[in-house]
Parts: sequence; structure tokens; C-alpha cells
Amino acid sequence: MEWFDIDWKGLALPFAYIFVLGGMLYTFSTIYRKRKASQSANLAPWFPPHLQKNIYSSLLEINAADNHDKKTRVPASVVRTALLRRAVEDIGRIIQVRSAKQALNTLLQRGSVGDDLMQRFSRAEKEMEEELRDVVMEANALAPGWGQAIFQSANEIAANTHLRARIDDIQAQAATEKEWWEKRRQCISKEFMKELDEEEELSKAGSVRVGSDDEGVLVDSTSPATSPGGSKKRVKK
Amino acid sequence: MADEVFEVLPLGIDPQSKSITSTSSSKDLQTELAALNTLHRSLLSLETSLQIPPPPVPVNPKRSANISKLRDSGNDAYRKSKYGEAVKFYNLGLQMALTRPLWEPQQLVREEVSALFANRAQAHMSMQNWPEGAVDAEASVEAKRTGNAKAWWRRGKCLVEMGRLEEAREWVSRGLEMEGDEAELAALLKEINAKLGKETA
Repeated sequence: MEWFDIDWKGLALPFAYIFVLGGMLYTFSTIYRKRKASQSANLAPWFPPHLQKNIYSSLLEINAADNHDKKTRVPASVVRTALLRRAVEDIGRIIQVRSAKQALNTLLQRGSVGDDLMQRFSRAEKEMEEELRDVVMEANALAPGWGQAIFQSANEIAANTHLRARIDDIQAQAATEKEWWEKRRQCISKEFMKELDEEEELSKAGSVRVGSDDEGVLVDSTSPATSPGGSKKRVKK
Repeated sequence: MADEVFEVLPLGIDPQSKSITSTSSSKDLQTELAALNTLHRSLLSLETSLQIPPPPVPVNPKRSANISKLRDSGNDAYRKSKYGEAVKFYNLGLQMALTRPLWEPQQLVREEVSALFANRAQAHMSMQNWPEGAVDAEASVEAKRTGNAKAWWRRGKCLVEMGRLEEAREWVSRGLEMEGDEAELAALLKEINAKLGKETA
């Protein structure tokens, strides 16, 4: 039969070749995919951990844990303040997200940044949306209607804090500027005094010369009257 | 996406002062807690029922009235050539304007603070305190960048008086960019350029 005529032993090598090739491709693709998946799962978050949110949640946790002890209970006013601080931090993050979005899109179109950066960014954006909704809900729960106003207040707080920090920075220069100017003024006045001294010396030296000139002039001015030239003139006349 | 994972921080509360404390040595956490406690104290002084900051827009007119009163007193003293007294009035006004509660509109703070700083700069300049004048004028510009040609001019003038001509030229040119063609600023720039020309010649 023809079936048995095939030289199986001779074909073993090509079969082995195909098998090894297929196996290699398979293992490569699985490993590659696994790595890619774990990479995107482990992408660094866009923002550092949300400290204010952690504080807020921790405070709520304290209240949930020991409800009975009045001394260690966190007053509602502190909880509200913590939520307001959280909203202020969110304002800063929103501004960052908005300003980064435009730039990132341009860079992505040009191919200057990788996909994973964009992935990280869109994840941060989504998280921010969630965060805002969360804060509004919490605010409404703490005080009816506060959800409407909390971000307005937070916005002003963020802007005011920034402004005051800038002004403090500028005003802090006053002391060093003043010190510099005092030194500088002393320098200038010293130089000025030096110049004055030099001028004085110069003028002393000058005055001596001027004096002698004056004498000469005097001699000259007096001489015509008595000089022979004058008399000559007179003679000529 | 609703991952309610958060880091539980080692926080505690001082039973007397009701301020939040932490045993953690993290510097960020400590500064944040300090900010939280100050904000809490200023919120407690509110008269609203729940001690939440009111929306920014209707502002308590008391403070604004006080600030403008102090500014007017300062201006009066300045007109009578009592410059030291004027500076004192402006200082008080600035203190009041800068301690305005943080949730009140920053635009208002900018307006008040820029006017007060510009006036204090002028008073300092009248006493020939050029460095103070320069710093105050810069602060005024920081608070209000456009429509503040006087403050731009004053810092420029102070820098010229201190002999920092290059710096003055840069500053005044920037001022011209922001303010458009202000005649006084342009004149000052001309003066600076003339002086610079003389120096290099």
C-alpha cells in the first residue's frame, strides 16, 4: 500500500522543524501578551496618592470604628473641613488635567509620546470625573445643597492660596534687597567721597596752577599798562 | 472603576482643641494637617448654621469698607507728606486684605492688594527707599498684571534709581507688552536706554 511507502523517518526532520517553529511562535506571543497586559496594569498613576482624600476617609473610618467614645469622635465640622481640603486638591488636579490634555494630544499626533502615556492620562481623567462626583455627593450628604457651592469655594481657596504664596515670596525679597542696597549705597558713597577727595586734590593742584596763571594773567593784565608794548602803542598813537 | 481603596492614615484628634494630629513623620502629611486645622478654625468663626463656607459671590461688605477706609487715610497722610504714617496705614490695609477668608473671591483680593501695594511703593519712593518701593511695586503687578501701569512704572523707576539699568529695561519692556503703549512707561524706557547708551559709550 502506498500509505506504508511514505518514508516517515525521512519526514521526521521537517515535522520537527515545523513543530519547534510553531511552539516558539506560540510561546513568544503568549509571553509578549502577558508582559504587555501586566505593563498596562502596572502603569504608574498620573497623580501621586490623594493625601486629602486619604485623610478624609481615615477620619470617617475613625468615626465608624468607635461611635461611642465622645472624646475621640471627630466633630462634623472637622469632617467638613477635610472634605473642603479634598475639593481644593481636586481643583489643582483638574487644572493639571485640562492643561495637559491639549499638549498631550498634539504630542501624540506627532508621535512624540507613547501610547501608554495616553493610557495613563485617560485613566487619570476618568478617575477625576469619579472623584468630583464623589465629592459632590459627600458634600450634599454633610450639608444639604453644599454640593452646588463646594467647588466654587474650593476654587477661590486654591486661587487665594496661590496668590498669597506668590506675594509672600515677593515680599520675602525685601530684606535681602534692602541689605544689598545698603551695601551698594555705602559703596557708592565711598566712591563718591573718593571722587570728591580726588577732585579736591585735583582742584588743589589746579588751583595752584590757576593761581600762578592768575599771577601771570595779573602780570599780563597789569603789564600792558606799564609794558613797553603799551607805551609803544601809545607812542604810535 | 469604583475602587474604594485608600490608605488608612494614623490620625488622632486632640480632645480639647479638636485639632487633628498624626503620629506619622511624613512631612507632607504634617503640613496638610496644619492647613486642615487652620482652615477648620477659620470655618468655625463663620456664623452660618452649618459652618460651611458660603458661595463666594455676596461678600461681607464690612472688611471691604475697612480696607478702603485705611487706604484713604493712607492717601491723606501721603498728601500731607507724612510718608511714614502713610506706609503704616497701607500696612494695616494690606494685613486686612491678605487675611480675608480664603473662600472669598480672589479677584477682589487682587484689586485691593494691588492698589495698596502700589500706593505703598509710592510712599516708599517718596522717602527714597528704593528697594522697598521696587518690591512693593512688583507685588502689586503680581496681584494685577494689566491696567496697572503705575506699578510697572514705579518698579522701573526704583530699579533705575538703584542703578540696575539692564533689569529696569527688561522690566519696563515687559510692562509695555502688558499695558500696550503707555506714554509714561515708554518715556521711562527711553530714559533708561539713553542712560545705558551713555554707560556703554
